[in-house]
Amino acid sequence: MIRFFLLQNRQGKTRLSKWYFPIGESEKKRIESSVHRMVVSRDKKYTNFIEYNSYKLIYRRYAGLFFTIAVDITDNELAYLESIHLFVELLDSYFSNVCELDIVFNFNKVYNILDEYMLAGEIAETSKKEILERVRLLEKLE
Amino acid sequence: MSGSHLSRDFFALVKAIGESKSKQEEDRIILGEIQTLKKILSGGKGSDNGSAGSAKKKAKEYLVRLMYVEMLGHDGSFGYIKAVELAAAQSIVHKRTGYLACGACLSPDHEFRFMLINRLQRDLASSNILEVCSALTAVVRLITTDMVATVVNDVTKLLSHQNDLVRKKSIIALHRLHQLDESNITSQDLTGHLRRILCDRDPSVMGASLCVIEKMTIKDAAPFKDLVPSLVSILKQVVEHRLPSEFDYHRVPAPWLQMKLVRILSLLGKGDKSSSEGMYAILADAVKRADTGINAGFAIVYEVVKAVTIIYPNTTLLDVAAEAISRFMDSSNHNLKYLGVTGLAMIVKDHPQYAAAHQLAVVECLDDPDETLQRKTLDLLFSMCNPVNCEFIATKLLSFLKDTSDEFLRKDLTKKIVVISERYAPNQQWYISTIITLFSIPGAGELVNPEIAQNLMSLLAEGGGDDDEEEDNAMRMAAVETFVNLLDEPQMPPILLQTLAWSLGEYAFLLEDIELSEIIEDLCKLARRTVIGESSRRYLVTAVFKLVSQLGTCPPCAAHLVDDYTKSRDPILQQSCIEFQSLITENVQLLTEVFPVDASCEDVGADENLSIVQGFVDQALAKGMNPYSPPDEADSDEEEDGAGQASKPVFNITPYEKPSAQPQQYQQQQAINPSFSSSTDTSGGASMSSGGAGGDGGVQLGGGGDVGLRLSGVANVWGPNMEVKKQEPVVVEKKPEPVMQPMVEDIPAPVAASAFVAVEEQKAKELTDKEKMAMALFGGLGGGGGGGGGAKERRGSTGKSKLEAMREKKAAAAAGTVPGSAPVPVPTPAPAPSDAGMDLLDMTFDGPTEVVVASPPTAVLGFDGGGDLLSPAPSSAPAPTPVAGNNDPFGVLNEPASLEAFSYESVNVVPLPIDTAGFGSRWGQCGFQKKASVKTPNRINSLDDIPAVLPGFGFHPVETIVKTSEAIAAGVVGGDGLILLHFKVKGGGLGVDVTVKANNPTIGEKCFEYMLESM
Repeated sequence: MIRFFLLQNRQGKTRLSKWYFPIGESEKKRIESSVHRMVVSRDKKYTNFIEYNSYKLIYRRYAGLFFTIAVDITDNELAYLESIHLFVELLDSYFSNVCELDIVFNFNKVYNILDEYMLAGEIAETSKKEILERVRLLEKLE
Repeated sequence: MSGSHLSRDFFALVKAIGESKSKQEEDRIILGEIQTLKKILSGGKGSDNGSAGSAKKKAKEYLVRLMYVEMLGHDGSFGYIKAVELAAAQSIVHKRTGYLACGACLSPDHEFRFMLINRLQRDLASSNILEVCSALTAVVRLITTDMVATVVNDVTKLLSHQNDLVRKKSIIALHRLHQLDESNITSQDLTGHLRRILCDRDPSVMGASLCVIEKMTIKDAAPFKDLVPSLVSILKQVVEHRLPSEFDYHRVPAPWLQMKLVRILSLLGKGDKSSSEGMYAILADAVKRADTGINAGFAIVYEVVKAVTIIYPNTTLLDVAAEAISRFMDSSNHNLKYLGVTGLAMIVKDHPQYAAAHQLAVVECLDDPDETLQRKTLDLLFSMCNPVNCEFIATKLLSFLKDTSDEFLRKDLTKKIVVISERYAPNQQWYISTIITLFSIPGAGELVNPEIAQNLMSLLAEGGGDDDEEEDNAMRMAAVETFVNLLDEPQMPPILLQTLAWSLGEYAFLLEDIELSEIIEDLCKLARRTVIGESSRRYLVTAVFKLVSQLGTCPPCAAHLVDDYTKSRDPILQQSCIEFQSLITENVQLLTEVFPVDASCEDVGADENLSIVQGFVDQALAKGMNPYSPPDEADSDEEEDGAGQASKPVFNITPYEKPSAQPQQYQQQQAINPSFSSSTDTSGGASMSSGGAGGDGGVQLGGGGDVGLRLSGVANVWGPNMEVKKQEPVVVEKKPEPVMQPMVEDIPAPVAASAFVAVEEQKAKELTDKEKMAMALFGGLGGGGGGGGGAKERRGSTGKSKLEAMREKKAAAAAGTVPGSAPVPVPTPAPAPSDAGMDLLDMTFDGPTEVVVASPPTAVLGFDGGGDLLSPAPSSAPAPTPVAGNNDPFGVLNEPASLEAFSYESVNVVPLPIDTAGFGSRWGQCGFQKKASVKTPNRINSLDDIPAVLPGFGFHPVETIVKTSEAIAAGVVGGDGLILLHFKVKGGGLGVDVTVKANNPTIGEKCFEYMLESM
C-alpha cells in the first residue's frame, strides 16, 4: 500500500504531500527533507527506486519536479512508477500541458485529482476518463 | 498563469512564497499570513463586510490558505473550527473544502473530530451523491476507532447504492472501518459484502473490492480460496481486452487490475497445489500478452514472476519466469535490471539452478554505482548463499557493512552475515575470523546479539567437533593471533573486547613467539581505558589473572592494576582483585589450581541442588530467617551482559560463610557470562570458591578456567541451523554424528552441471577478474560449472569434511582389514529398522533428500564406534529388506558380478540416447532428486568405469567430463519414466557421489536404492 505521496521541486519545496498513515508534523518534515536529499542526488541512469527505512521510495522526475511514492517493501515497483506517470498524465490533460506553477496555484485541484485517483493508500481508479469526468463535475459546482 | 480564481491576497501570498529565497524568508511571510488569517477568522463573518455569498466564498479561500500554512509546517489550529463549520455548509463545494481541511489538519485524537460525526451521518444518508461521496472520503480520513459504531450502518447501506462511485467508495470505507474496529464490522460481514461487490457490473467497483480482498487475503487466505475460479475468469477477461478501452494504459488492458488480480491469486495459491493448478494457464497467458516492451507490461510480467515463485511450483511457469528474469537482467535499463535482481533473488531461494546463467550480470550489478541496485544484489547474494560461495559473499557483505552509515542497512547486514556464517561456514577458522571482523566493525559490533560472542567462545573452548586437538589448537591459535593484532585498536565495541579478553586469557599461551608478559601489559592498558564498560573491564582483569597464573610471576603492571582495582568502585571487580591479591601473596601454588590452563571445557561435578548448604539453610530458617527468593532479572544492573538467554543472571544475596577447609558451596551468579550456567562453579576441590576466596561470580567465572562450559543448549544455536534443514553446517558436537547425518557439502545437486561445464570449458582459458569473481560467487549453485573446481579445493578444509575425513579414515582402516571384495555377512545396504528405535529407513527416505550412505562393509565396521545408530551391528540378522524392484538384494550383494539392469514393476530401464544439452533440459523437469555418497563402490572405482558399467545398469552414458570427474547418464522406464543420473568421482578412495533425478518419485526412489546397491 502507498505510505505517502510527495511532490517536490528541485529545491526541496514540497508542492504536494499526502500521507496515508498517521504521522507527526516534525516527522513529516524530516522525511520530506531526507527524501528530497536522496532523490536529487541520484544519477539519471540509476534505478528509480530507493530503499528507505521500512518502505521503498519510487520516484520520477518531470522537469524540475520530483514525484515520490513510498510503498511497502513487497510492492511492485514498476507498477507504482507507472502510477506516477498516470498521475502526471492526468494533470497534463487536466491543465493541458501542466507546469509547476499550475500545481502551485491550483494545489487544491491537484488534491482533488489525487483523491479521485488514490484512496486510503490504494490506487482506486485507473481510468483517466473517469477521474477527469468526476473532477470536472465537481468543478462545475463551484 | 492560471491564478484568476484566486483573490489578490492569496495570489500574492503564493507568489511571494514561490519567490522566497530562504526558509527564513518563507517563515516570515507565513507568520504574516497567520496574523492576517487569525484576524479574519476570529472576527467572524462580520468582519468581511461583503454580502453573505462572498463571505462564504472567502471562507473557502481562507481555509485553503490555512491548509497552505499548515502544509508549510506552521500551526493553523486557530482556524480548525472554521473547517468544521464549513463541513456543515449547504454548498457541496464548501462542504468538500471543510472536509478536506479537517482531514488534512485535524490530528487523530483531536476533539473536533467528534463534532463532525453528526454531519457525516447526515451526509451519508443524503440523496445528493456528491455529498455522500465527500462524506465517504471524509469517513476514511476522519473516523477513529471509537467512532466506528456511529457510521458503520450508514456505510454498509451504501454498498447497494445505485451509483457506482458511491459503491466503490463505500467498500473501501468499510474496509477502513474494519481495520479500525473488528468488533463492529467482522471479517465474515466484510467477506460477504466483498463477494457481492466482486461481481459488480462496474469494473472500477470490482477493482476497488480487489484492494480490500488483497488486504484481507494477506491476513487470512482461507475464506477466499473458493474465489480462485472467479478471479481467474476476471483476469482472463481483462487480459483478453474485454474491459472498456478507457481502462487501457498505453494500450495494456487495465494493468493495475491485472497486477492486483495476479497478486491475490499468488496469495491464494501459496503452498496450495489445487488452487495453484487452476491459475497456471492464465498466468502464462498474462505474461505472454503483457510482454509488449513497455513499462506497464513489464510491471505485469514482474508481478507474474513474483506469483510464480510464491505459488505451488510449476516447471513450465518457472521457466517462463526465468526467461523473463534473464531479459530484465540483460536490459540496459536500471529499473529493469533491479527487477531482474529482485526476481532472481526470489527464484533462487527454491530453485538455485536459475542463477547460473546470470553470473556476470550479478557481478556487474554488485559494482554498479547505484546503491539501490547494489543493495538488492546483496539481498540476492544472501538468498543464493551456500557453503561454497559463503566466504565470498560474507566478504562482500562485510565490506558493504563497513562502508554504510545507514542504520537499517547495518542491522540487516549484520543479521545476514551472522546467519550465513553460522549456516554455511566452511570451517571454524573462517567462522571465527568472520565473526571477529564483524565485531570489530564500528557500529556493527553493538548490533550483534551477545549470543554470537558466547557461541564463538564456546567454539574456541570446545574445539571443532572431532577430537583432533591439534586442529583445535590451530584454530585457537588463529583466533588468538587475530586478537593480538587487535590489541592496539583505539576503539573496540564491548562485545569484541570481552571476547578478546576471554580468548587471550584462555589461549594466549599458544603463542610461542610472544611473551605472555607483553600480552599482560597490553591487557592492563586496555583495562585502564576509561571508556570501556564495567563488564568489559572485568573480563580484561580476569584475563590478566589467568595469564599471571600461567606466567608464574606477576609483572609490575599487573600488580599495579590489581592493586588499583582493589579500590575500584565496581564491587565485583574490587572483590576479585582482593581475592587475587590474597591468593598471590599467601598461596601462589593455589593460583594455578584456580586458573588451570586450557580447562574451560573440563566438566566440573556440580551439585545443582546445593544439598550441601541445606543444613545451613535449615538452620537459618529455623532461626526465623526469610526463605531465599530469587531476585527479578530487572534487578540486575549490568547492561552489557544482556546476553540473557537461558540462564538468567541471579545475584547471590545470601551471605558468604567464612572460608574454611570444608568447601562451601553457594548459588553462583554470573554477571558477565550467563552461559556458564549457575551450577558450574559449585564444585568442590580446586575451584576458586572452595579455595576460600569466596570469589564473586562475575569475574571469576569470566576467568573461570576451572569451570566447564555448559554448552548443551548453546552449541546447537551456533551449529546446525534449524531453518535450513537440509544442510548442517560445522558442528560443535564432540562425537561424530550418526551415519545418516546430512552433510554440508551435499548442497543442491549440480543441476545440469555438465551442460554448463561443456560450455565453460571452452571459455575457461581466459578468465577475467569478473569471471573469477563470478566463479567464487556461483560455486556450489546448480549449473555453476565454473565454480566447481574452487568448491572442491575448499571442501578439503571444511570443518564438515573433517568429520567426514575422520570417518573415512576409520572406513579405510576397516577396508584394510576386511577386503572390500569379500564382505562377510553384512546387513543390507539400506539398513532396515533396528530395534534401537532408530529407523534408518525413515531417515534415509523421509528425511532430507540428500544423504550420505556408507556402503555396506564400512557401514558396520566404520561406525560401530558411533554406536547408537547401528546398534544391531553385524551380528543382527538382516532385517526385512526394502523392496527393490525385482532385485534380490542378497543376490546383488553376494555376487557383484551378475548385474541386472534396473527395472521397475518388471519393466527394464532402456538407455535414453540423448546428448548433454538434452540432458540439461530434462534435468529441470525431474521433480524427484536424491543424492548420496557411496564410499566404497563395488563397480565404479574410477571415472573410466562409469561408461563401461552404465549399459549394464541399463543407462545410456551421456557424457563423461574428465576435468571435473563427473559423468551423466540417462535412462527411461516404460516410455515416460525418465531417470537421470549424475556421478561425481571424488578420487583418492573417497568414493562416488551419485544423484538420481526422476520425473516419477516412485521410480526415482527405487532407482536410488538400486544405484546404492549396484554401484
